[in-house]
Amino acid sequence: MTEAAFLAPRRRATVYEAYEAPFPVPRSDAEAMRCRESVYRADLVNQQVLVRDPAHIELLYGQGYFGKGILSRARPDYSLSDRWQEFEGRQIPVISKARYEQLLSWRRDYLLSKGMDEEAVNQILVRLSEPIEPAAESEEAGLAQTEDSSQKKRKRSSSTDEQRRKYCPYQDRQHTDPAPRTGSSPVDDSSPVADSSPVADSSPVADSVLDSAPGTDSAPEYVLVEGDSDEEEGGSEVNQGGVRRLPFSTTEVLQLTLEEAFFLVYALGCLSVHHNQKPLSISELWGRFRGVQPGFESSYAAYHYYRSRAWVPKPGAKYGAHFMLYRKGPPFYHASYSVVVEQVRSSGASLRPFTWRSLAALSRITANVSKELMMCYIIYPADLSEAELTSPLSLHRLTVQEVVIKRWISSRERAELDDI
Amino acid sequence: MADPSKTDDSERIFSELLSPSELFAARSRSRKLPVRGQKDFYPSGCTQQKQRLQNSLDEHWELVSEERVERLGNLVRGIWNPSDQIVELQSPAGKFWQTMGFSVDGKQCLQPEEALYLMECGNLQVFHRDLPLSIQEGYETFLSSSQLSLQQYQVFGHLKRLGYVVSRFHASSVPSLYERQLNLPPSRDRGANQLKRKRSPSPEATATVASSPRPSEKQEDSTNPSSAQDKATNHSEPSAAQQPIPEGRRPPADDDVTGRNWWSDGLVPPEQQQDGGPSHGGPTSRWDFLSIQFPDLGARDTPGPLAPPDPALLPGAMAVGVCSVSSWLRRLNTWREKQPGGKQRRRREEEEERARRRTGPDREVQGCRSWAEYRRIMERRRKGSRRSDSKPAHLWEKDVTPLHDPRQGTSTAELLEKISVVKPSRWADKSCSVEAVGTWQISFDVHQPAVNTEFRKSSPGMPYSRMCVCSFDGPVPALGELQHVSQQSGDVPVTMAVVDHGDISFYTFKHFLLPCDLPQ
Repeated sequence: MTEAAFLAPRRRATVYEAYEAPFPVPRSDAEAMRCRESVYRADLVNQQVLVRDPAHIELLYGQGYFGKGILSRARPDYSLSDRWQEFEGRQIPVISKARYEQLLSWRRDYLLSKGMDEEAVNQILVRLSEPIEPAAESEEAGLAQTEDSSQKKRKRSSSTDEQRRKYCPYQDRQHTDPAPRTGSSPVDDSSPVADSSPVADSSPVADSVLDSAPGTDSAPEYVLVEGDSDEEEGGSEVNQGGVRRLPFSTTEVLQLTLEEAFFLVYALGCLSVHHNQKPLSISELWGRFRGVQPGFESSYAAYHYYRSRAWVPKPGAKYGAHFMLYRKGPPFYHASYSVVVEQVRSSGASLRPFTWRSLAALSRITANVSKELMMCYIIYPADLSEAELTSPLSLHRLTVQEVVIKRWISSRERAELDDI
Repeated sequence: MADPSKTDDSERIFSELLSPSELFAARSRSRKLPVRGQKDFYPSGCTQQKQRLQNSLDEHWELVSEERVERLGNLVRGIWNPSDQIVELQSPAGKFWQTMGFSVDGKQCLQPEEALYLMECGNLQVFHRDLPLSIQEGYETFLSSSQLSLQQYQVFGHLKRLGYVVSRFHASSVPSLYERQLNLPPSRDRGANQLKRKRSPSPEATATVASSPRPSEKQEDSTNPSSAQDKATNHSEPSAAQQPIPEGRRPPADDDVTGRNWWSDGLVPPEQQQDGGPSHGGPTSRWDFLSIQFPDLGARDTPGPLAPPDPALLPGAMAVGVCSVSSWLRRLNTWREKQPGGKQRRRREEEEERARRRTGPDREVQGCRSWAEYRRIMERRRKGSRRSDSKPAHLWEKDVTPLHDPRQGTSTAELLEKISVVKPSRWADKSCSVEAVGTWQISFDVHQPAVNTEFRKSSPGMPYSRMCVCSFDGPVPALGELQHVSQQSGDVPVTMAVVDHGDISFYTFKHFLLPCDLPQ
């Protein structure tokens, strides 16, 4: 049988990113000396592998396109808003009133679920939603130090996320950590300052100097709430725009598939997975993953093989396959292949039994999205026992055979153009 | 084929011959095909839709039940031979003889599927026991054998109607490994061709480096045909023009028992293979290409480093070490990527890159302005290189350790080689034992339509593809079965024709090796 021809991958029309590195490991000794930590940390939570540290998220996704942000489409760049404005020397997001109220309601639900009664909840919310004055510099422990904000774990999205967003107007400014001094509550609710328009509130105090101490976790975040166009003076606090404290923050977390996590741990040695604060060894990880996902050893063998050929496999559930293969990464090229993993074993179980009907359907889908359907057969040697498979060293004995499936149209016009 | 208008019993026998008026009516029938209208996607239940459907069904039925009218003189007579399962032609064949049929003992014969196809076209009339077969009888008689099933006939008919030249597959027509190594010209009539020049055996298999036993058995094969051919050329030597035998040729058998090798070791197959070759009245050229091994750097499995050549071949006191070919191999089939953006941007980027290359990729170093600063930076780094994190114990001190230590900087190419633990297998390697071989047989050879290409039945050339017919309700071939079928076919790609009650789809399964994509 002749070999299938290799078609060059199609480049995307516009590429917004620059290619950094194929793997999140240093490529030279100079790089190795520069980076501070070589091992990133992930947690195994409910059979999912999550990376929480924003710096780690950035590196893992930026170099090798591992994982997916749970609040984002692919790249973990979730942020509260697309528009940012400056306030007291830092950037705060601008959100609509409706969104602000939604966040307040989430806060309320959270507090109620903690068991506090309605009265207390309402009071807290009222205090929380007071507008912030830009000029007030008092160090008093304001509302931000209340028990509710200190109870929550706060992980903010990393500063460099902002720089990647193309809509952010302040791309060259560094988003620094919030100052430890808290935005104190206004002295007088009915002061004319509170009634002023949002524009005046958010006017940057250009000479404000931040304190040098880095922000702590319990420092509040601010948002700029857009008021109504027909706002009146003397209306209630919530109806007006202004700078307010962020009532509820959601943090971006990177989720890795089991194959990606095991690859980072085993092949690159740059990730360590913790379960209940306890780090897991490679054999334990292998055992756990095999227990969670049947056929893990075959799909991992395929993943490892494609990574070692410098292609980027991403989960292919959108197109009915196990993986989609990208050259260099999703932002640069369209996926070239849809890979279905199949195991060739003496015990005979098939990962994804095909009938001609389902094969025809999958072939049709794949052709419609201009990709090629590739079957990846993982061949197990006959003498590989079940006991040997409990160790990841059995990977060294597996071999891979790829077969490209294409539909041939028999009508004459096609025959002159196509080649079998 | 009774004419419906004639109900008279006595004229039933002759109703197949048409009267002039009937003939005229038949000839001037409208040749229009029914127009395909818009599809309706769901039954709406209204009468209009039902009426439309009924109309198109009626039209369909009318077309299918149409009588076919043929000139008696156009029909070629054939006789069905059930014992041999072929149809022998009594009258000379028409135009279809260019692409179909075969001769046996001077008689023209057709395969049953070709006969049935021609019957349906209206070119052939087959007689069995002195009675002409109807189409239905044709289907029943020809397709009942184990050699030809209905599905295979449907595929045959489909491809023939599109214009392809379809013939039966014979396993013997696939050249075996031995024949391929002989590299004979593909001629059907032997005996006429006299080799004008002695052909040296194509050293197809001599260059593989893999340590598996297959190359060694290929070596044996290559020495044998070369010896056979040598004998043949010895016979044709007096009549053929030949290369002048150089004066100083010494019999190769004596000194070169081990074979002449450019490389002293490493790529040479075991020596006992070489004894067979040169001792058999050896080749006439000075170089014994059987025993000179050239490494095949384009082979799939990367050969190891080239061993240094035989010091006897090197001039003077030159010492040559082992040559590593991995860097060259990495450059094979790679090309520089085109960056998006205009020419100016590209030029600017190139300049920046050149500037960067002078000082290195290090941003800090690029920024420093004097050697003293540079030294300070390096000093600082060396001090700070005491890593804050040591090797995580839970990874490195257990039984399974990671394949790579991220604290060392490794280039991408080396890293990829390090982690290439799961190896690709070769297509020719049998993955597993083949059990259900019987269901997967190649049925037909398909050649391109004969209109454009010159097609000679005597030398059809390599087929465009080979067909393996299966049913839509059947199983999908597994890897072992695919390998078996492709091995049966040799070099020609195999297409699976999947038949679903007359509807045929074709799928090709081709093996593939994903190229390694090394970033620069």
